[in-house]
Amino acid sequence: MRLTGLTLADVRNYSALEFEPVPGVNVLAGPNAQGKSNLLEAIGLLGTGKSFRTSRESELIAWGMPLASVSGTAALAAGTVRLACTLAASAAGTRKIYTVNGGRVGYSHYLGRLRVVTFVPAHLQLVGGPPALRRSLLNAALSQESPAYYAALANYAKHLAQKNALLRGGVSPDEDLLATYDERLVASGTAIVLARRAFIASLDERASPVYRRWAGGADGELHLGYAANVPCDVPTADAVAAAFTQRLADARFAEAQRKTSLVGPHRDDLEFRLGERALAAFGSQGQQRTAVLALKVAEHATLEAYAGEAPLLLLDDVLSELDAERRRAFLEGVAGVEQAFITSTGAVDTPVAATFSVRAARVERVA
Amino acid sequence: MFYLLNRPRAEAEALAEAIIAVKDRVRLCSRCFSLTEEDPCAICTDVRRDAGLLCVVAEAKDIFSLERTSAFRGRYYVLGGLMSPMDGVGPAQLRVKELIARIGEDAPREVIIATNPNAEGEVTALYLSKLIAPLGISVTRLAYGLPIGGDLDYADEITLAKSLEGRRSL
Repeated sequence: MRLTGLTLADVRNYSALEFEPVPGVNVLAGPNAQGKSNLLEAIGLLGTGKSFRTSRESELIAWGMPLASVSGTAALAAGTVRLACTLAASAAGTRKIYTVNGGRVGYSHYLGRLRVVTFVPAHLQLVGGPPALRRSLLNAALSQESPAYYAALANYAKHLAQKNALLRGGVSPDEDLLATYDERLVASGTAIVLARRAFIASLDERASPVYRRWAGGADGELHLGYAANVPCDVPTADAVAAAFTQRLADARFAEAQRKTSLVGPHRDDLEFRLGERALAAFGSQGQQRTAVLALKVAEHATLEAYAGEAPLLLLDDVLSELDAERRRAFLEGVAGVEQAFITSTGAVDTPVAATFSVRAARVERVA
Repeated sequence: MFYLLNRPRAEAEALAEAIIAVKDRVRLCSRCFSLTEEDPCAICTDVRRDAGLLCVVAEAKDIFSLERTSAFRGRYYVLGGLMSPMDGVGPAQLRVKELIARIGEDAPREVIIATNPNAEGEVTALYLSKLIAPLGISVTRLAYGLPIGGDLDYADEITLAKSLEGRRSL
């Protein structure tokens, strides 16, 4: 899939912009604070309905304006689709309106049309950083891949928050109500566990050869594993549901004592191993970075395999964080992508389809 | 406001009286907790309605929606909300004990739980079924599915998946 046209209105420093990207690698070049990342963020917003830079999305609305709007046309295998995401500031927070081919839709119907894989410098901490960072990578990818996953995740989060309120004593304790929340958590949690398990298996299969190619065999094999909070050897819905139910029963006393829920996929993790050793504890900074690059290549390849067409690749200032060798290896790894957007303050040493100069919110094709 | 200023005083008085009458006369039915002027309400006292069917709704306004269908000829029960411990709403804040007592008295053959198809509605329905099913009474829930006159193309995946789950033989 690829983006063929993008229109911004009152998005950050862009009051109005028409942008026509090309197939292949699009480089957004220019000094800092000119609008390169803002443009990349807008492409991400068009695809996912969310900013990859901030959770305070009112920041995207140009100062003093009531609305910000990103719209664009994408060429998909299934045909051309017009997407638009409008942010409206209001006293109650930022409201978002999504349209597909001019018709208004809910978020779950919008997400996943134009898929993106985003790579920002913060992702370089994926190996050593907190588990929430790795879960959010899994969630972002799988939510784009499957509306059912997104629905299960949203449902799980709601029931979990209610269960925690019950455990904290928001209302008087009630065994039947607690059991009801646990049943709902098992239902949506099982779908989450199965999807993550298959996704991580696919990441592992694709990341290992990439890492081997870059690092040689000396480091040992890179493996990505699913550190499920509810372990289960049999990947069927019944088996996972039974294991989760048992784990909740075992944890019930501890949960009542600690007044919070202690088990379930909200405590899952993605683990990186090099040979038999945990990369987070034993790997060098360089090995950890290489593993993240391999993971990102694998994420892109997995989403492509799932959907039958390649998602867009968005790289925000990530190349400048890498040494020359890794930069070259990574760019080779993604050379076959259908469309990529790369922000850079300098030249990019890879075949590029087009270079756009970004200065003071003006975007001009220079090569 | 501006409209009223241009109308005769008598009209404003009539409106004021009507508002006060609502406050004075409308109260909760002691049987079903719906809004009524007469207690018990017209639905609870209507002998032509089937006392063997009891439909549980979250709010009194839901009764008006269901009555517009003319498809339901049983009786109602208003729970007074949906479970949400985050908002301080649990079984004690809803009319759950009263519902169980009512079911014990009337012994309906079926209890239909007509809560919204969202997370809170789902939990409320499952919770109630946990309490009612052991009494040997059949508990049902409204079906999830496609809107009539709709188009499969426009249905979201979740609704469509639920419709598949709840499919019927022809």
